[in-house]
Amino acid sequence: MNDLIRRLLGRPAGKSGNDAKQRLKVLLVHDEIDLPPAKMEMMKAEILEVVARYVTIDEDAVTFRLHKDDHRGVALVSNLPVRRVAARA
Amino acid sequence: MSQCIVVTSGKGGVGKTTTSANLAVALARMGQKVVCVDADIGLRNLDVVLGLENRIVYDLVNVIEGECRLKQALIKDKRLPNLSLLPAAQTRDKNAVTPDDMKRLVEDMKRDFDWVIIDCPAGIEQGFKNSIAGADRAIVVTTPEVSAIRDADRIVGLIEAHELPEPELILNRYRPGMVHRGDMMSKDDILEILAIPLIGLIPDHEDIITSTNRGMPVAFDDESAVGAAYRRIARRLMGEQIAIPDFTDNATFWNVFKRWMGIKGAQEVIG
Repeated sequence: MNDLIRRLLGRPAGKSGNDAKQRLKVLLVHDEIDLPPAKMEMMKAEILEVVARYVTIDEDAVTFRLHKDDHRGVALVSNLPVRRVAARA
Repeated sequence: MSQCIVVTSGKGGVGKTTTSANLAVALARMGQKVVCVDADIGLRNLDVVLGLENRIVYDLVNVIEGECRLKQALIKDKRLPNLSLLPAAQTRDKNAVTPDDMKRLVEDMKRDFDWVIIDCPAGIEQGFKNSIAGADRAIVVTTPEVSAIRDADRIVGLIEAHELPEPELILNRYRPGMVHRGDMMSKDDILEILAIPLIGLIPDHEDIITSTNRGMPVAFDDESAVGAAYRRIARRLMGEQIAIPDFTDNATFWNVFKRWMGIKGAQEVIG
């Protein structure tokens, strides 16, 4: 009966199945190339540091993720929007 | 032509032993000669699920170490004379057996049986390597959870690396109602990720628990929808082409409504 009342009062929105699927996809790609998410963050920071020596990047708009395509290939897909070319020293 | 199937999953607790027992029973009920092997040395359980725990005298390690003949260790199921069990040792560890030992043992058994079903232990260590050594074919069991599917993906890779044919998937503990309202990954989501063929879908059901309580695998039960799902897998293993229902009827408005209201009996159709 408590369960019925809880349901009548409205339960939290469902759809956690899709969360599971997205988490799983990310996890499997990281497992496949043996690069845990924390290490990828380190790599991302280092890459940004190098790129920033040459151009100014819009850091809020940077995307950096592993993508797995249908042929079971993994690619590192990144978008580093450039604000302006840094003045040459 | 005899076949050896290994039932594996990577993760523990997803239903390997229940699956092994039910496939063995279902195949034996079709008149096939079946032996079920518990390869989980040190943690034997298949005997209990099959209800044969009181009849163990010798075990797999005794056979491999030559302390008894294979025939002495095999336990014949009195309910189904063409079903036998080779129990695991309870007091030894996995390193008592090597992949070559298992290969020889499986070859011996294939002379007397149509099907050798190996219940693989959880993990990817020695027990897994032993279990797949003599297998011709692998079945991967998973449940619709992130952790189980992650491990299944790893196991699929390891099976392919051992030059076994592409494994087939059994999706266990499926809850169509939860899938319907978006709170569980669907069959199609999981197949998209694992990319191996589906050979069976088993709904989550109380019958599994009650049958395990009694040591009477649900595949014996002609009234049970879960038993029927296992029997269909056995027929697919025999080469029949049968559709795989995904029990979405159970997620229809009325059934969902009845469950939502908490009406007794609705659990019966939940799947």
